[in-house]
Amino acid sequence: MTQILSSSTDLPTSGFAAVARGLTRTYGRGDAAVHALRGVDLGLPVGRFTAIMGPSGSGKSTLMHCLAGLDQPTSGSVAVAGTALEDLDDTALTLFRREHLGFVFQSFNLLPMLTAGQNILLPLELAGRQPDRQRHDELIATLGLGDRLTHRPHELSGGQQQRVAIARALVHEPAVVFADEPTGNLDSESSAEVLGHLRRTVRELGQTVVMVTHELDAAAYADDVVVIADGTIRAHLVEPSADQLVATLRGER
Amino acid sequence: MRTVLLASLRTHTRRYVAAVLAVTIGVGFVVATNAIASAARDGMVAGVALPYDDADAVVTDLSGAEAVTLVDRAARAGDSAAVLGWTMQPVRGSRVSDRVDVGAIADDPVLRWQVVEEGRFPRGPGEAVADVNAAKSEGVGVGDPLTVGAGSRAVEVTVVGLVDSPSASVGATLYLPWSEVTAWSQTLYVDSVAYRGAGPEELSGVPGTVRDVDEFVEDRSTELSQGVNVLAYVLLLFAAIALTVAVLVIANTFSILFAQRTRDFALLRCVGATRRQVLRSVRVEALLLGAVSSVVGVVAGAGLGLGLVALVRELSPRAPLGAVSFSPAWLAAALVTGLVVTLLAAWLPTRKVVRVSPLAALRPDQDVDVHTAAGRLRIGLGLALVVGGVGLLAASVAVTSVAPMLAGGIASFSGLLLLGPVLVPALIRLGGGALGRVGGTTARLATGNAVRNPRRTAATTASLLVGVTLTTAVLTGLATARGSIDGEMATQHPVDLTLTATGDPLPTTLVGDVRATPDVAAAVAVEGVRAEVSHGVGDLRVLTVPDDAGTVTHAALPRPRPGEIWLPYDVAPDARRVAVTVGGRDVTLRVRLGEGWDLAGLVAPATLARLGDPAPQAVWVRAGGGADAEDVAGDLEALAVNVDAELGNGLAQRAYVTLQLDVLTGAVVGLLGIAVVIALVGIGNTLGLSVLERGREHSLLRALGLTRRQLRATLATEAVLLSVVATVLGTAVGVAYAWVGNEAMVRPLVDDSPMVLPVRQLALVVVVAGLAGLASCLLPARRAARVAPAAGLATD
Ligand SMILES: Nc1ncnc2c1ncn2[C@@H]1O[C@H](COP(=O)(O)OP(=O)(O)OP(=O)(O)O)[C@@H](O)[C@H]1O
Ligand SMILES: [Mg+2]
Repeated sequence: MTQILSSSTDLPTSGFAAVARGLTRTYGRGDAAVHALRGVDLGLPVGRFTAIMGPSGSGKSTLMHCLAGLDQPTSGSVAVAGTALEDLDDTALTLFRREHLGFVFQSFNLLPMLTAGQNILLPLELAGRQPDRQRHDELIATLGLGDRLTHRPHELSGGQQQRVAIARALVHEPAVVFADEPTGNLDSESSAEVLGHLRRTVRELGQTVVMVTHELDAAAYADDVVVIADGTIRAHLVEPSADQLVATLRGER
Repeated sequence: MRTVLLASLRTHTRRYVAAVLAVTIGVGFVVATNAIASAARDGMVAGVALPYDDADAVVTDLSGAEAVTLVDRAARAGDSAAVLGWTMQPVRGSRVSDRVDVGAIADDPVLRWQVVEEGRFPRGPGEAVADVNAAKSEGVGVGDPLTVGAGSRAVEVTVVGLVDSPSASVGATLYLPWSEVTAWSQTLYVDSVAYRGAGPEELSGVPGTVRDVDEFVEDRSTELSQGVNVLAYVLLLFAAIALTVAVLVIANTFSILFAQRTRDFALLRCVGATRRQVLRSVRVEALLLGAVSSVVGVVAGAGLGLGLVALVRELSPRAPLGAVSFSPAWLAAALVTGLVVTLLAAWLPTRKVVRVSPLAALRPDQDVDVHTAAGRLRIGLGLALVVGGVGLLAASVAVTSVAPMLAGGIASFSGLLLLGPVLVPALIRLGGGALGRVGGTTARLATGNAVRNPRRTAATTASLLVGVTLTTAVLTGLATARGSIDGEMATQHPVDLTLTATGDPLPTTLVGDVRATPDVAAAVAVEGVRAEVSHGVGDLRVLTVPDDAGTVTHAALPRPRPGEIWLPYDVAPDARRVAVTVGGRDVTLRVRLGEGWDLAGLVAPATLARLGDPAPQAVWVRAGGGADAEDVAGDLEALAVNVDAELGNGLAQRAYVTLQLDVLTGAVVGLLGIAVVIALVGIGNTLGLSVLERGREHSLLRALGLTRRQLRATLATEAVLLSVVATVLGTAVGVAYAWVGNEAMVRPLVDDSPMVLPVRQLALVVVVAGLAGLASCLLPARRAARVAPAAGLATD
């Protein structure tokens, strides 16, 4: 079944992994000002795989950066895992990120001087935490990285690199995993593999995943799809059919 | 290509700042040397002709006694002669330092070359004039009474005028009438005599060398000017070292910049630029960089030189510094040097640019090559040079010869630089590993960053290695020299301080009082008698060296044999035997000369017994290690006044020599410091450029949870690792070279010259380098930490 959630200004925080209210982000000022986000209200439910879609330049990455505390919104508020991000200073925000969030980027996910294994453990090492051995080994096994741990990033294929990045994003049991076009650089086979892994973490571990993408195929792996255009949310589709998704997106082009 | 060149200059200007700074400092150094040398030459040569203006002939190569005869001869012939020279005499009164140079005022007013600034010339014995600049620093004024000389040759004079005496070769601090100066003819150093009334032909019979005035003045000017040239060469040597380090820094800057721009170059090649076009564009960039920094260097150096000369003249009015005049040839040479240095440094890196294939632009997002393996050839050559160099050094120690030492030093150091890409990262891993145990992630990341591009790491540290190796070698060399000089000083001044009775014998309680004085380590009472010594020596204490003298002396004092009397050089009689009279009793003793026990005669106990009843006549004092010479002397002076005693201060003499060594050490370290500063600019630069390069990594780390503080700490650790590893390695190598130098050059001359390690100074060098490394990363670290995580991820 399919329904469209109405955007309302007073979203409840419970049941949502991340909530944004009246979010705006403006780059530059005066005549040169670019309004990347123009008042976004959004709630991302816990334990679901949400895709953010929209045309290039619509503000997808900006929205994700603001939700993940990587960038300061111009106005509006963001709460992630029940914590209001605007209340945190830079250090507190950083500590929050390394405790509660995981990231997968399109490219340049891994530090070149560290091995795959060291890259995976990096968030834990930064936080001075011991890894949960069982979870770690499980992740490595699921992602098929067992024989790759001692390799450096440049010795890995693009797909392998992304799988290492996913392992790193998940190893410390984050509240939300953010992925910005994680399959942008991959062929369709590797893409399917990576997306399959992400979906499995949602289904099997109850992980919340937010993924920016502009590929319909990728979005098909998600439970929900948020459609954004010109800095505003146009639709929040829950388990859309392919036809419905195409129709909504076409309306935006 | 013009648009590309201009655009790249615009975008990369900030990245060239360090290279510009390095060349500017080097060129500025050369220009400032010109300023200082020209001022020194002007100051040295300016007053040279003055004393001979009215002379008809100049006589040189005379002893003091011969000068006295010559002046007498002139007086008999109705001519006049002025003796130009000086004798070092103890001076008491006012604030005048212990010993000053005393010259003569000519009797003939025409030959008086000094110019009265205040007061008047002496009208007869008992009057003196002081050099106006010296008077300022010594605190002498018109009307001050002074005691000049020691013993029976001491004279009381009143300062009646201050004179300007601007001659670098024959100027003195105090000028007394010639008739007074003749008393010290034995210790008088005669530079020359200006003779008026007869030409060189008529003077053919006199002792010494008779010369034509103009010829003499010209020779003297050339001589002084050559002295200045030597100074200039020494300064230029240091400038050359600084410029060598600058070459390393610039070459490294270019390599890094070009590595970062590989994709730009490849793209240019893709769209149709020929190799030649790309090469020319980067060479022009280097040329412009060299031109701008050389011009800035010339201007800055000129300003610095003028400022320094003005400063020195302000601080020390006696310094022979005249007007600064820049020589166009010199300035041009400095400009050309700056250009050549830049082009030379850019040569190798620009050649690498040409090898970039157009394909490099098409490859997906490549990181800068992380694994630049040091070539086998390089390692092989490096090893061969190190082994050969060390062999030569060993040979130089074995045969104590300088030539193999220089060759071995250069070879082994070049080899070391070639091995840098293997050696330095290994050392950094070692240091980083130790740090990692306490510093955790930050230290581990820093170590990884510091070694990820071995060649760059080695190139960055090479410049600092050069500076530190030279500095530590010089520091160790000077410390070793100080060791031998200390030994020498101990023989000359075996006793730190002496209190000698001037009237009645000293009270027996004095030793106790002296021992109770702060900073006095030991004191012994010295027995003796008051005696009258013949042959112009006069009233003198005759002492015997006490048995426990060893507790206060730094070196053994003479042990006079019966029938001998040891007299200080200051009161040397003009006979081999003197009569010593005590209370009508007369003993004739053989004279031996020496120094180190102040103004007194030394005899054997048996001799003293023959002379009379011994009573305490002196107290000899040893000051505690590290005691301030002036403080101790002040405290003892206070005791001396109460008991009618006179203070002799060997400690001050030693302190003066130590001060001179300190100044020399400071000067050399300061001059080498310029090279070290350039090297540190280079480290900051490499770090800054690496930070730009690693923007995305830093953003990623920040996204993953590295706090700003941790990021800054990572960069700081990297900088400190680089600088400390280079410094420690440089210190080890520098000390080794100093040891070889000592064995090969000094040992053959001085049998006992043990190597002295200035541990505290060397530790200071390491600490300062570490702190400077820390300082050099401040700007890059700030910039890196400011970037918001998202902003960094967006950069391509
Ligand atoms: N640092 C910046 N300065 C100025 N404008 C920016 C900056 N970053 C993004 N923008 C602008 O903000 C808008 C949204 O950018 P954003 O990167 O969020 O788009 P996107 O939806 O992720 O696009 P794409 O699918 O191409 O990645 C764009 O118009 C972009 O030009
Ligand atoms: Mg984007």
